[in-house]
Amino acid sequence: MTQSIEFEPPKKRLPLADLDVDAELRRFEAEESARLGLTERERWVEDMANLSFTRAQRSQVTLLVGGLTMAHDLFVEASLKHVGYSVLALDAPDNEALRLGKEFGNRGQCNPTYFTVGNLVKFLTHLRDTKGMSTRQIIEGYVFVTAGACGPCRFGMYVTEYRKALRDAGFEGFRVMLFKQQGGLSQATGEESGLELNPEFFLALVKALLAGDVLNALGYRIRPYELEAGATDRALEQSKRICYDALAHGKSILWALGRARRLLGAVAVDRTRPKPRVAIIGEFWAMTTEGDGNYQLQRFLEREGAEVDIQLVTAWLLYNIWEVSWDTENRAELRAEDGGRFGLDGLGEYGAARRKLMLWAADRALRVVFHTYAWCGGLYDYHLPDMKEVADAAMPHYDNDLRGGEGHMEVGKLILNVMKQKATMTLSVKPFGCMPSSSVSDGVQSLVTERFPGTIYCAVETSGDGAVNFYSRVQMYLFKARQAAEAEAQAALAANGLDAERLGAALDRHPRLRRALSRAPHSGACTTTDLIYQAAELERTTRAQRALGTAVRLARGTRKALLRAGKTLPWMVSLAAKATVELGEIARDEGPSALQKTKGRLLAVAFGLGSDARAAA
Amino acid sequence: MSESDLVIGLDVGSTTVKAVVVEPDSLNVVWHDYQRHHTQQPEKTLELLEAILAAFPQQPADRWRIFLTGSGSGPLVEPTGGKFVQEVNAVTLAVERKHPDVMSVIELGGQDAKIIMFKEDANGGPKTALASMNDKCASGTGATIDKCMIKVGAEPGFATSLHFDDSKLHHVAAKCGVFAETDIVNLVKAGIPKAEVLNSLADAIVLQNLSVLTRGNTLKAKVLLLGGPNTYLPFLKECWQKRIPETWRDRGYDFPNDVPIDELIFVPDQSELYAAFGAAAYGLGEDATAGRFAGADRLREFIQNGRRSRLGEQAGPPLSTNGDETQAFIDAYRVPRFEPARFSPGQVVRAVIGLDGGSTSSKAVLVDEQGTILAKAYQLSKGNPIQDAKELVAALEEGVTSQGATLHCLGFGATGYAADVLDECVLADVNVVETVAHMISAVHYFGDVDVICDIGGQDIKVLFMKNGDIQNFKLSNSCSAGNGMLLQAMADQFGLPVTEYAETAFKAELAPKFSYGCAVFLDTDRVNFQKEGFQKEELLAGLAQVLPKNVWQYVVQIPRLASLGRKFVLQGGTQYNLAAVKAQVDYIKQRVPGAEVYVHPHTGEAGAIGAAMETLRRFERSGSSRFIGVSGLLALEYTTKNDEETVCHFCANECKRSFIDARRPDGSTSRYISGFSCEKGTVESKDAMLALVAERKKIAAAHPNLVEYEARRAFQHFYEPTPMPAHGSPLTDVRVERGLFRVKRRTITRPFQRSSDESWKRRRQMRIGMPRVLNMYSTAPFFRTYFEALGIPKQSVVFSEPTNEEMWVEGGKYGSVDPCFPSKSVQAHIHNLLFRKHDPEQGRGLTHIFFPILTHVPGFVKDTMDHASCPIVAGTPNVMKAAFTKEVDFFAQRGIEYVDPALSFAEPTLLMKRMFETFGPRLGVTEDESDHACRQGAAALEAFEADLQAKGLAILETVEHEDRIAILVLNRPYHADPGLNHGIPEEFQVLGYPILSIRSIPKDPKWLARFFAKDLADGRMKHPLELNHVWPENYSANSSQKVWAATFASRHPNVAVLDLSSFKCGHDAPTYGLVDTILQTSKTPAAALHDLDANKPGGSIKIRVRTYAHSLRLHQERLEDVSARRRELERAVDEKRLELLELKQAQLQAARRADPSLRREIEELGAKVRAYASPPLPAELPKNVVRLGKKQDGRVVPVDAPISAIPAE
Repeated sequence: MTQSIEFEPPKKRLPLADLDVDAELRRFEAEESARLGLTERERWVEDMANLSFTRAQRSQVTLLVGGLTMAHDLFVEASLKHVGYSVLALDAPDNEALRLGKEFGNRGQCNPTYFTVGNLVKFLTHLRDTKGMSTRQIIEGYVFVTAGACGPCRFGMYVTEYRKALRDAGFEGFRVMLFKQQGGLSQATGEESGLELNPEFFLALVKALLAGDVLNALGYRIRPYELEAGATDRALEQSKRICYDALAHGKSILWALGRARRLLGAVAVDRTRPKPRVAIIGEFWAMTTEGDGNYQLQRFLEREGAEVDIQLVTAWLLYNIWEVSWDTENRAELRAEDGGRFGLDGLGEYGAARRKLMLWAADRALRVVFHTYAWCGGLYDYHLPDMKEVADAAMPHYDNDLRGGEGHMEVGKLILNVMKQKATMTLSVKPFGCMPSSSVSDGVQSLVTERFPGTIYCAVETSGDGAVNFYSRVQMYLFKARQAAEAEAQAALAANGLDAERLGAALDRHPRLRRALSRAPHSGACTTTDLIYQAAELERTTRAQRALGTAVRLARGTRKALLRAGKTLPWMVSLAAKATVELGEIARDEGPSALQKTKGRLLAVAFGLGSDARAAA
Repeated sequence: MSESDLVIGLDVGSTTVKAVVVEPDSLNVVWHDYQRHHTQQPEKTLELLEAILAAFPQQPADRWRIFLTGSGSGPLVEPTGGKFVQEVNAVTLAVERKHPDVMSVIELGGQDAKIIMFKEDANGGPKTALASMNDKCASGTGATIDKCMIKVGAEPGFATSLHFDDSKLHHVAAKCGVFAETDIVNLVKAGIPKAEVLNSLADAIVLQNLSVLTRGNTLKAKVLLLGGPNTYLPFLKECWQKRIPETWRDRGYDFPNDVPIDELIFVPDQSELYAAFGAAAYGLGEDATAGRFAGADRLREFIQNGRRSRLGEQAGPPLSTNGDETQAFIDAYRVPRFEPARFSPGQVVRAVIGLDGGSTSSKAVLVDEQGTILAKAYQLSKGNPIQDAKELVAALEEGVTSQGATLHCLGFGATGYAADVLDECVLADVNVVETVAHMISAVHYFGDVDVICDIGGQDIKVLFMKNGDIQNFKLSNSCSAGNGMLLQAMADQFGLPVTEYAETAFKAELAPKFSYGCAVFLDTDRVNFQKEGFQKEELLAGLAQVLPKNVWQYVVQIPRLASLGRKFVLQGGTQYNLAAVKAQVDYIKQRVPGAEVYVHPHTGEAGAIGAAMETLRRFERSGSSRFIGVSGLLALEYTTKNDEETVCHFCANECKRSFIDARRPDGSTSRYISGFSCEKGTVESKDAMLALVAERKKIAAAHPNLVEYEARRAFQHFYEPTPMPAHGSPLTDVRVERGLFRVKRRTITRPFQRSSDESWKRRRQMRIGMPRVLNMYSTAPFFRTYFEALGIPKQSVVFSEPTNEEMWVEGGKYGSVDPCFPSKSVQAHIHNLLFRKHDPEQGRGLTHIFFPILTHVPGFVKDTMDHASCPIVAGTPNVMKAAFTKEVDFFAQRGIEYVDPALSFAEPTLLMKRMFETFGPRLGVTEDESDHACRQGAAALEAFEADLQAKGLAILETVEHEDRIAILVLNRPYHADPGLNHGIPEEFQVLGYPILSIRSIPKDPKWLARFFAKDLADGRMKHPLELNHVWPENYSANSSQKVWAATFASRHPNVAVLDLSSFKCGHDAPTYGLVDTILQTSKTPAAALHDLDANKPGGSIKIRVRTYAHSLRLHQERLEDVSARRRELERAVDEKRLELLELKQAQLQAARRADPSLRREIEELGAKVRAYASPPLPAELPKNVVRLGKKQDGRVVPVDAPISAIPAE
């Protein structure tokens, strides 16, 4: 297009001499593009991933927590309150949560996703529709904190689901924070966190989890044998309140657990009725939740006459520690430090040793604290799993490098349950289509059950509907388990020359065996068998004989320890020599200040400072 | 006989109630009965108990004991005072008592299938029973058989006298009832005789149970068959008798050959009573207080009052709160009654016919030139589309002629399942895909519609509209099909005509809350609710309420309905059911403020009307028709042939085809061929087949399919490894010293260590087999080259065949779990290696089968959380080891070592170490040799990627400059296996679209930067291969690649997407919404098939391909328009620039200043602007450019990277 240009006097032409051709052209192009309908394609960007929660907002924000057992969620709420947060534990997810999860989530999710995502949506919808809060108030006033991901299975992508569901349910912008299993707490993306990950916070969480574990384990030990229905639950409720109070107000949790011990110890029990001990393994959430998510499996099993052996959260933490330790050990001697999530890139010459030591210390510390809590709460003779033993048992069938879900643990635990008579029946519960469990572990378990005839192993999937079929499958195996428990108890009676009447008489003579918290040493797969052997032992021997026996055992133990120490001594000496030589080398390699540096490093290790401490936990 | 403690055993199943009375001492059955309960379990139970009490008048009322079993017995336990016995336990006990020599039991019921295997204790202890039940997805075997009997039209007595014949079997997916029904419908449509259909179904059920329910165990003799279907259907029993011994022979199980098969695998007398008997037997072992019968009165009271009182708490609201609401709704939404047109005697009625051959019913309409519907005809499909068409058209003609008028047919259009056959046989003018037909019809009546939701008997189709055409669509898949049919089946079950469904459902005062999901799950829920005491009106209401959830939450997956628009049209036969409409309207209105929801006035015939309207449009444009005419159609003779002769032998699939030969009145004939799984099946002679293959090759060359190429290339030898360095040649290495405190690494130079000549010779004799599955698609070039570099001859590095039906049937019976099909198919590949590739007699014995656990695979996406494999995929090598060593160690038996180390491609040093640890001792190689081989493997993988990217670049550049579309397949690498993707990419290739794989997208950041320019500029992305701006949870390597590829497609105007995922894919599922959002936002055309499984859903694929092709055509037009407008813009901008520059020059001149560069620029631009008026001739095409069929204006762009010709096969 051209136009006639009229030349005007120079004065007026001046601005034109500065004509910005490019700017003019840009304007023209924009106009023309709009006229021709040539608009740029829209692109979608995830805006909910970088939402921040700053320290300044802390006083106005309530943290929502949930996803473990009721006791754990409650105690986490109490502990974090004490650290200075406003916290609210969500109720256990129910079928309404599942429905909402399905409505707002992607098709083809596993039901822990539907339940947990739906549970959050349900709570927020309740705030909006029933409490009349505006969406803005909700988004500004609440933040959801949840366990983060290990990666390989759908669990690693939970947050994607949270975002989708929250957005679709009308809560765009709601903040979801991840507490990652490895690497501490961070937001879904971004590093800024309103949550302070200081030791205080960390210890508060550990306290809550361990206390929850102890009370849960006690409940499952006592309830099946209670003489008065509901007595255990009443005592547990009181105990939870006491612990909650202690955690929330910074009182001693050991003292609170002690009070719980007295309450629970007062429950009257009868352990002479043989009940199969059913070890629940499987996918973490499905075996942990106590609501509709697994059809209240634990209570169902108890109603059907079983004693339930649950997996503790502490065991899960130990597994996490083991994973890092195993991965580090496998890579420590490589010719180069690889990148990737498991590679040791950036760890440096001393990093592997430091990390291994830290993990060892974390494992030991966790066990010591757990056992202290257990002892205070009356959870006697509880054995946390030896992770190496579990891994070794599984390795020939299920590679220890395979991750996702429980990894090799399901297979390892089943083998140990059978080999060591830890349970009458092993029940593996998992969500419908659980990737690591339904599709890998179960495939391997079919070989394990073939290798160990007589194994009672029930794998069952939860889908959120069809409870009848779910129960029916469990009952199918429980029938065999009941028979096995009965047969085991009868065999124990026969082996000890007892019958029901004489056992009763023996218990009368040793009333401490009737106490709720009394725990007989492991003799068979079910509690009654243990009791029979213990009672028989007491009947067979006098107090003096038992004292002598104890002394002999102690002596033997001491002798064994000494012999071992004797054998270890040369190794210790060589180790010390090796350490000396190595320190010398380090001094040579790194110059005069090396020893000073090494000392600093050792001190750092000893006091557990640095990021590895968190990683380990 | 003492009658003081007779025991009643009661088995309440999903369809029947069985009762026995047993004497406690002898275990004799003294009374028994078996009745169908027609979903009235408590009533039927009461009836039987009353009969029992009447039969034993001497028995004191308080001495009866009762034990109940079966899925329906739960609620009856308390009212009868009985004790519940789990049914497998009951059956196990019964079998132990009655048949001590039986080792396996197969019980098929209405809902559940169970297999019990007895294992002998090696130490002489008692036998232990190992039981397994079908998973949720495979429930309803008996119910499926019942439904399929109806579909094939089996008259009473037909099935009970049918015998098994495996000479003519057709593909039926028995994994789930809905899948099976879909296949059965297709077989029926293809005119397959009912005997063959039922035999195929039986065979599929048997093979499914053998491959899944046995959990990989061998069913040892003797085998007892129990349950209704096994008892009453001889063909099913005979099928077991044929297939089970085949597994015995395959697995080397030594079974008694001399015993007749009827004694080895048999149905016992009174097989239906086993569970009831077992329950009674179980009860006898219980404490004497257990199971004391509470008397019939308590049960009666429960039926009358008790049952109802519990329901309120778990039920939801009804469809309508009161009668007024119902009436107001009915008044507003009742489909107006159709009044056929009246004609005067002698009138010539000029009209077109539209016909919709649906899955369950066929409809036809007569439409005049003004678009008015003159007449309609409807009938349930009778199994043969030609016959259906004849009857429908006869009915239409009759409507005209009966009034003394005559019909002048202007044209004929067809849609639906029947369209193809009618297109061929009656020369239909229009053969339009259902979705487009529905769209045309809705737009005809409602103009500017936003959403069209069509719910037929089998399918749900939801079309999202923009400017009067389909913008996007969602179709039900196999898992969400059959909803309309379910409503009808439910009405049937209560003996209600479907026309009374709504009236009944509106009466409900509450409704059970069904979980949405597939029809099989819904039916399971229905059984449960019924058991709990819900009445029919409540069940009908609840089921109507679940329909919108299935549509919007399960099929459409867009919770924010409001984002789709405000104007919704509901159509399809299901909309006659006002209960379903009310549920839909309420659902939509709750979520879309100001929604307008309309029901199509001819809701059942919307498809037929669409076909008619399109026919009318064609007629108006061309003024002619090729249709053979109404009289021609009515006089059409046809035969259906389906026998040995029609089997297609052109590939290993051996498809059982049907030929429908039609002879028109003018003597011309045509043949319609159906039932094939690939294009080769469309021809009859070898010459025709060769011609077809040649034609396909031509198309393939013009429209390359890089998915297919990638799948082939990955397993070929294409890379020559560099020779192994000489022994002693200098090598730079790192020496690692691990102390207590540190790990010290020192770089050193040392001589290269080679293994001995003997070792090299030994390796020449080795053969290594690898399954062509899963992550091997990502890594095979690495492993092939690794072995070749170590001296294993290239022909001795062997892969299993690509997945195919034959291989799956042969080797698919070893699995103990039921994961996604890609993982499940691995057993068939291991089987293929063990039994096909391993042939020591011919000197081709495998020494090793190598199937690594790949925890991490290579991935190109930057800055991700991880490059993890799917845990199922990674763990499958361990699962296979378990499956093939469980009962018999097949590897040891055949002298092969199975090697499955854990490897990670995210950590190269660890990978090298593990490879050496694994193969150092096995192959006798040194670590230096193994490391060298690893490096060669990595180089091969790089070369593979580079080759693919060069080809991808050529295609992308070409389509961009020709304004064409390339289809990018979003898949996991192993979906390139043609047996897993069911040849879907090829369907698009033959339509003329080049196919790109994710791998073939060029990854050069410089090239990509153009598409991500804005993201890079605004800082959302730091690198074009990054993903965190859309998906931070990017742990999974393959899912990350899919999502990244979606972002690429969303930024490249010439790329459309075909998204493939496997059924049950846990890694893809969380990304469905994400990928959808990315592509929707950018309006990138996309089609998704998310439920790929063992069966090929031919019908579903076809409808998707054709609908998508329609969208792609529109998109192509838009691209051309945009391109033209861009050219217009380019010209306008150049002209404007010239004008401005000239203005500037004038100003400078006026100021007496000169700028030579400005003058030059004006001259150049002037020449360019002048050239717009007379464009130069296109330049000669450079070599090495992919020519993609038709070209727009000869503009093809040269590419920098040299590319070799893409081979067609």
